[in-house]
Amino acid sequence: MATKTIEVLPVNRVEGDLKVRLTIEDREVTDARCAGTMYRGFENMLIGRSPLDSLVITPRICGICTTSHLKAAAKALDMAYKANTPDDSLRLRNVTVMTEMLQNDIRQSFLLFFPDFTSPAHAQQPLYDEALRRYAVFKGEAVVQTIRETKKLLEIISILGGQWPHSSFIVPGGVVSLPSSNDIGSCRHLLSNFRRWYETNVLGCTLERWGEIESRQGLEEWLHEKPAHSEGDVGFFIRFAKAAGLDTMGMGPGTFISFGGLTMPTVTRVAAPEGHRNYMPSGFYDGEAVQVFDERMVREDVSRAYFDDYMGPSHPFNGRTLPLQPTGDGKKYSWSKAPRYHGKPAETGPLAERIIASDPLFLDLPAGRRGSVFERQLARLVRPAALIPIMDQWLKEMLRQDSEFFHNYHTKKDGDGVGLIQAPRGALGHWMKIVDNKIANYQIITPTAWNLSPTDKNDLKGPCEHALVGTRVADPDNPVEVEHVIRSFDPCLVCCVHAVTPDGNWRNKGQHNNRRRFTLRF
Amino acid sequence: MSKSLYWMHGGGCGGDTWSLLNAEAPDILELFESLRIDVIWHPTFSRLSAPELQRINEKIITGKKKVDILCVEGSIIHGPEHTGMYDEYFGNPKKDLIFALAQQAEYVLAVGTCASFGGFGKDGEIQAGGLQYNKGNPGGLLGEHFRSGSGLPVVNLPGCPCHCDVVCGVLSAVCSGIELELGPYNSPMDWFSVMVHQGCTRNEYHEYRVEEKKFGEKGCMFFYMGCHGPLVYGPCNKTLWNRRSSKTRAGVPCFGCTSPEFPHTYPYFQTLNIEGIPIQLPDGVSRAHYMAYKGMAAAAAPERLIKRKTDI
Repeated sequence: MATKTIEVLPVNRVEGDLKVRLTIEDREVTDARCAGTMYRGFENMLIGRSPLDSLVITPRICGICTTSHLKAAAKALDMAYKANTPDDSLRLRNVTVMTEMLQNDIRQSFLLFFPDFTSPAHAQQPLYDEALRRYAVFKGEAVVQTIRETKKLLEIISILGGQWPHSSFIVPGGVVSLPSSNDIGSCRHLLSNFRRWYETNVLGCTLERWGEIESRQGLEEWLHEKPAHSEGDVGFFIRFAKAAGLDTMGMGPGTFISFGGLTMPTVTRVAAPEGHRNYMPSGFYDGEAVQVFDERMVREDVSRAYFDDYMGPSHPFNGRTLPLQPTGDGKKYSWSKAPRYHGKPAETGPLAERIIASDPLFLDLPAGRRGSVFERQLARLVRPAALIPIMDQWLKEMLRQDSEFFHNYHTKKDGDGVGLIQAPRGALGHWMKIVDNKIANYQIITPTAWNLSPTDKNDLKGPCEHALVGTRVADPDNPVEVEHVIRSFDPCLVCCVHAVTPDGNWRNKGQHNNRRRFTLRF
Repeated sequence: MSKSLYWMHGGGCGGDTWSLLNAEAPDILELFESLRIDVIWHPTFSRLSAPELQRINEKIITGKKKVDILCVEGSIIHGPEHTGMYDEYFGNPKKDLIFALAQQAEYVLAVGTCASFGGFGKDGEIQAGGLQYNKGNPGGLLGEHFRSGSGLPVVNLPGCPCHCDVVCGVLSAVCSGIELELGPYNSPMDWFSVMVHQGCTRNEYHEYRVEEKKFGEKGCMFFYMGCHGPLVYGPCNKTLWNRRSSKTRAGVPCFGCTSPEFPHTYPYFQTLNIEGIPIQLPDGVSRAHYMAYKGMAAAAAPERLIKRKTDI
């Protein structure tokens, strides 16, 4: 007979507070609901303010993707004010956002995701001692190196934009920065140092050698080519993932979205994919093929979220954030809205970028087109390999006497702006309506809103919920498998700007019996 | 003797933690080792399971486990309707847990403007407040008369985010028994008695009132661009960010993020002024003197500054 337990887990080592409600039957997750446990009200905070204030306020939504929110806000203003952005400002914007991606990919991997391999739940793994040596909290070799290397890397954003986190150097019409050739030279040195560390320790090979891998077989050959390959963090991850079954764990819905990122300068040696204005192409993968992305097809569904559903799923320009009092009737259970594209949930992040760019390696991996814990994390861990050379090229191209970083623009009393980018965690959009020189509406869809979204009116689960269902759990008291699945999405709950309580039942005493073990008494 | 540290996230973006990772010589791991700080819990880094954490929390709250240093990052969320359930933890308002932990701590540090004064959400539906202040008013979650085990009130370390050197410096002082001199708003004088403006490489423009009027121009941003550098206290241009620069050095106006009023209700990127002289003047300066001084300074401005023949 099936034993049924319900676990409510607060999840740490993600950015922000997350709670997951699981139904586990016979050691298999049969239902999952995810949501943040905090409401911060950023969208409503912006209404009535001066449009430029979005450049100060929205970066503070997130302490780890702060530059990405800044860029999305500035792009929305570019559009509303019809501002022209000179090529060098595009390069500078791109390089700073890419620097933020690199730090996120490395920090998420070695500070947030990999420490789960040191859980006592893995103690029987032959690779457990190696995992402890590498990833023990505050002590592991990779942890120590990550703290040293990422802070040096972030000096690039400080040189180009004043500080990290939380600067406001990107503005409509470009950037305010006026970097000297010496400044840019320093950035290139910092990047080159980071590259050396990344190649030696993370990849175990050069970026070029990694770039040659184009198939599952190629990856296998690479792994066994040299001891350095299997001893790097990527090599260790491949070995550990096989042993722990991460390549069949946490299958996503198989739909992927990218808003497109890194706008190409008009003149550059960097090549964009054919037909795209962005180095990272936009698109929607529907399970079979990549479709052209059309921003008008984005909707936010609030049928299962504690917001007034006054007109059904809405495009962000029409969306409002109108919180309701939780009723505990079980229908509405989350304070996170559910973004949908053509009515479908979609996974976003580094793996989505690879699928939409038709990367041959990831398309060839067993679960590449659906995404398992393994593919999701591998895509994140190796994203720097593709970005570093492009960053260096764009830095080099800024080294000119006649470089231009800002074009003056004229404010407009009324206007609409959309800023769509690829942030470190995936598709990020800011929608801004300006009326009479003030922000009349501001709606934000974050990558985590895509990935951790609740179920919608058609009973389609959000990607992380979908991925959790079916997960086999060895020990329901310590379901480390669930933690692997959740953290493989790199959730950032502080970014879920309108997320609040998980199941909304905090006033329903009956529910508390199920969480008895987790009720804090004091 | 090692010191135990408990780090709590309230309503915030996590930026103070990520800022702390910028620390160099010592970096945070070296700092913890050299000061023998034992981190009981940090939500971003720790690997305790939820039941383990709850057991530890209960031990602390019942006085069976010691917390030497409690760091709180992010605001105290009181909404909706003072229930605190917009920020929930183990089914209870997180503010209640923070309150209970603070009663047991030797030192309580409010890391960042949100924890110090409320910050983002202080005027909004989430009813955000600080640990011992709501904006500039004493009170907050713990009340005006709260004193931690050491006899100190909450030590406020504002900034959005708080500079890593401030956190490292205060932890060093606390662990080494060095007395902290607290100034206005109970912030340590070592970092909060200096104007943000002090050390800005654009100071010469300020001296001679050579102004920036649009983005990407060189000049002082105080007169038209809304720079708060001469108005608020903070070490940004003394210790620099990421060892490299600061917002004002890079051409971004200071937004006064260490101020109890941050985020301000008035618009950024513009200076409210009368005839080119800002309405808000540097702390302690009289309007008549400032107008006379800036009038003469502008007349004395050298050509090399007016023509921006500088690299700044």
